[in-house]
Amino acid sequence: MTPSTCPFCGLLCDDLPGNGPATGQCALAERLFQVPATAPALIDGVPSDTASAVARAARLLARARRPLVGGLACDVTGQRAALDLAERLGGVLDTMNSTAQFRNLLAYQDGGWMSTTLSEVRNRADVILLAGTTASRFPRFRERLLAGESQFGPTARRLLALGMPEGAAPEWLTEPPIPCPPDRLGQVFSALRTRLAGRPLGMSTVAGLPVARLDALLETLLAARYGVLAWNAADLDFPQADLTVRALLDLVIDLNARTRWAGLPLGGNDGDASAVQTCAWRTGYPSRVAFEATGPHYEPIRFAGEGLLAAGEADALVWISAFDPARTPPPADCPVIVLGRADMAFTTPPAVFLPVAVPGVQQAGFLHRMDGVVALPLAAPAPGGPPGVAETLTAIMKELDHAAA
Amino acid sequence: MLRLKGGRLYDPAHGIDGVVGDLFVADGRVVANPGPDAVIDAEVDLAGKVVMAGAIDLHTHIGGGKLNIARLLLPEDHRGDPVPALDLGAGGYLHAGCGHAAPSTFTTGYRYAEMGYTACFEPAMLPANARHAHLEMGDIPMVDKGAYAMLGSDDFFLRLLAAGADQRLINDYVGWTLDASQAMAIKVVNPGGISAFKFNARHLDLDEAHPHYGVTPRRVIQALARAVHDLGVSHPLHVHASNLGIPGNADTTLATMAAAEGLPIHLTHIQFHSYGTEGERKFSSEAERIADAINRLPNVSADVGQILFGQTVTASGDTMGQHRNHRHASPDKWVVMDIECDAGCGVVPFKYKDKNFVNALQWAIGLELFLRVTDPWRIFLTTDHPNGAPFTSYPHLIRLLMDRDFRNRKLAEINAEAAAHSQLKNLEREYSLYEIAIMTRAAPARSLGLADRGHLGPGAAADIVVYRDDADREAMFARPEYVFKDGELIVRDGRVVKVVNGALHAVKPEYDKGIEKPLKDYYDRYMTVKMEHMKIGDDEVCACGANKLIPHRCGRTA
Repeated sequence: MTPSTCPFCGLLCDDLPGNGPATGQCALAERLFQVPATAPALIDGVPSDTASAVARAARLLARARRPLVGGLACDVTGQRAALDLAERLGGVLDTMNSTAQFRNLLAYQDGGWMSTTLSEVRNRADVILLAGTTASRFPRFRERLLAGESQFGPTARRLLALGMPEGAAPEWLTEPPIPCPPDRLGQVFSALRTRLAGRPLGMSTVAGLPVARLDALLETLLAARYGVLAWNAADLDFPQADLTVRALLDLVIDLNARTRWAGLPLGGNDGDASAVQTCAWRTGYPSRVAFEATGPHYEPIRFAGEGLLAAGEADALVWISAFDPARTPPPADCPVIVLGRADMAFTTPPAVFLPVAVPGVQQAGFLHRMDGVVALPLAAPAPGGPPGVAETLTAIMKELDHAAA
Repeated sequence: MLRLKGGRLYDPAHGIDGVVGDLFVADGRVVANPGPDAVIDAEVDLAGKVVMAGAIDLHTHIGGGKLNIARLLLPEDHRGDPVPALDLGAGGYLHAGCGHAAPSTFTTGYRYAEMGYTACFEPAMLPANARHAHLEMGDIPMVDKGAYAMLGSDDFFLRLLAAGADQRLINDYVGWTLDASQAMAIKVVNPGGISAFKFNARHLDLDEAHPHYGVTPRRVIQALARAVHDLGVSHPLHVHASNLGIPGNADTTLATMAAAEGLPIHLTHIQFHSYGTEGERKFSSEAERIADAINRLPNVSADVGQILFGQTVTASGDTMGQHRNHRHASPDKWVVMDIECDAGCGVVPFKYKDKNFVNALQWAIGLELFLRVTDPWRIFLTTDHPNGAPFTSYPHLIRLLMDRDFRNRKLAEINAEAAAHSQLKNLEREYSLYEIAIMTRAAPARSLGLADRGHLGPGAAADIVVYRDDADREAMFARPEYVFKDGELIVRDGRVVKVVNGALHAVKPEYDKGIEKPLKDYYDRYMTVKMEHMKIGDDEVCACGANKLIPHRCGRTA
């Protein structure tokens, strides 16, 4: 039987037995692969037939002048349809994890990066430094990436951590984690760059770490044949974290003057790697794009979805969340249309709820892994669920055509 | 049936050079003259117009993943060229997007069609990135697409080579890769060098041993060229040679030609590989020596990779080269990625300046190559989009080739020292319309094995372009009067009037599927993707967005 792919975290493990995860393979996958066959559509919380709910959604959107198409947690096929809808409506597009994603994207658009992908890490990495993250959002991180055998022989990896939450260090680190408040990681990276350049720091400690400790760390980094600096933007939850990411990336670049290092940006959950890729090839921009009369308009700070909602600058919200029932829409003072898993529950019911198929469980599709390079096919081990995101959005657009005609 | 009446036909595949004649189109194909009794449903009078087959770009980075990395890097470039959506009613819907150096997929398709191109080939698809590439190309409308799978720095291949594997096993692996990734040809980029960079090597000359595997780039080229030939793939091994951009690399380029040992070989963006070390600045043109070699060696073809002045972005699998070049990045930001024990990717924005000695000489070297290679069947018109310049500069480039006065006026504007160094001013050649039709239509179709494209004979797909004959060749080629795709009018006066989707061309070589046994074992043991998922099914191609798959059988006809 062809193995199948799990869509529920950015690792996109593609070694699941055909019907979903094996028992004990991954708790996250086992939980999220369980999805009811379907559920009724809801209008203002009241069960309704799908056609009426679609018509209601279209009427709400026809009235909107600046709708937000948000969430985008679905596969490429659904994301293409979401882009079509946003374009058609003159709306703004943003992903559900964009607050975290833009910590990387702003740093990337400012200076680029040197990065790597999962199979390179598994085979080449002899030193891995986790910065500000435990990687625990990716349940099979160790199993998938840190296997004992590589194609270049048995691995003896040094697994280090810097600035991870107290008491959270994974047991597989080979050395005690180096303490550092996450919002001071940037200073540590900059200090390491300074020492790498052979310049004095003019201070005895940086972020509480003695300079001798930094020098020892630097020596470890330079001893790597292929080092990997992994971080998760979602864990760098403090203001201007993009500057921390930039400092990290600059350290990686500088280390490459001597040996090989690469960054590994952990992420890609909720289909967000695909959302950025798809939006980029269609518009040039990663997300936070408005379709205006002159063309796509990109505002990486001002078009943050939650900010637009909070400021009342969006007058309707289409929230797409087909992977995780807990990812319900953010608070919004405007009509909300949710395309969600059948088992999504609401404290405040949206104006319209349309259950949609879960890509990779109820519907086939395509999804990108966290590295944005590898796109994998999603199978449908439990077909026969509700229509997919693309079908649902297409139905709404058809209704809009009728309304316009 | 449609009759295109009385145009001047340029159809080099049939030796037709400006002969006035009619074309007949039915069911998307060119058909023979049906005689006076045939029912003609539509007729277009093309008196005085220039008629050619749809143009084919055999080397343009339109959707191999790395362009998306470039797009994400360059919002400031997109902002200068926003493209609004446009509803054409019955003609379909033109999506919004962006243009210039790293255009959005939709804009790419529209603008290619608006210049009379009907097929584009993405030359650098990493097998690990192939599904993404097909998704991205699936959103490029208007033109047919195809892609070349990149090999030569992938660990599986280098392991085979280092272990002294039988050529037949290498052939099977190459055949499997073409099949699995739905590719049209094989490309090698800095042979072995992308892998060597992962082992911290910063250079790898043609006969230098790879730091881990011990094999040389020469050996990589020979094994791949042999495999491509034995499998009967029409397009020769597509080679981005070692030492791109390095002064003195012409010697490497000549040695690379020799390394093919008579097997067909295509050297890509050869402008970047034609440099000497003469003069005060230790940078000089070796275009004459390179062109002479191409003229002498019938197994060699090349595309130029012309640079044109202005802002662009370079995107290449050559991580070693791009890391070396990052100090030239403008704006100062760049990306280098190691990818999946497969290859890599480097993106470096570039601004070519006409007053800069090196850039000006690069410009002149490219033009010299065009003018010195005598056989237009073996030299192709490319800017290596977007590396030398965005593809939208092709009409300007065609004028430089066809109009010596214009070329000399431009030569007078560039860095004076570079102009003085260059032989360009002495080259009198002006390309004819017939030669342009060869290098942009007939020759790429023949090289790729597209039997029913690139010509206007009966049976050809009715991809037809009609130009006003204008002494200003730039204006002429920028704005065709009509473009037909598979018989449908898609462009009128340089603007899309009908949105169509394109097909995907892919070769289907024969090979021993037994190669999947060692491959599966390799993927199971070492990789984070299953071998099964490296394979892209025929159905998937359409789910990715192509309107159909056009399979091409392989095999050498005697």
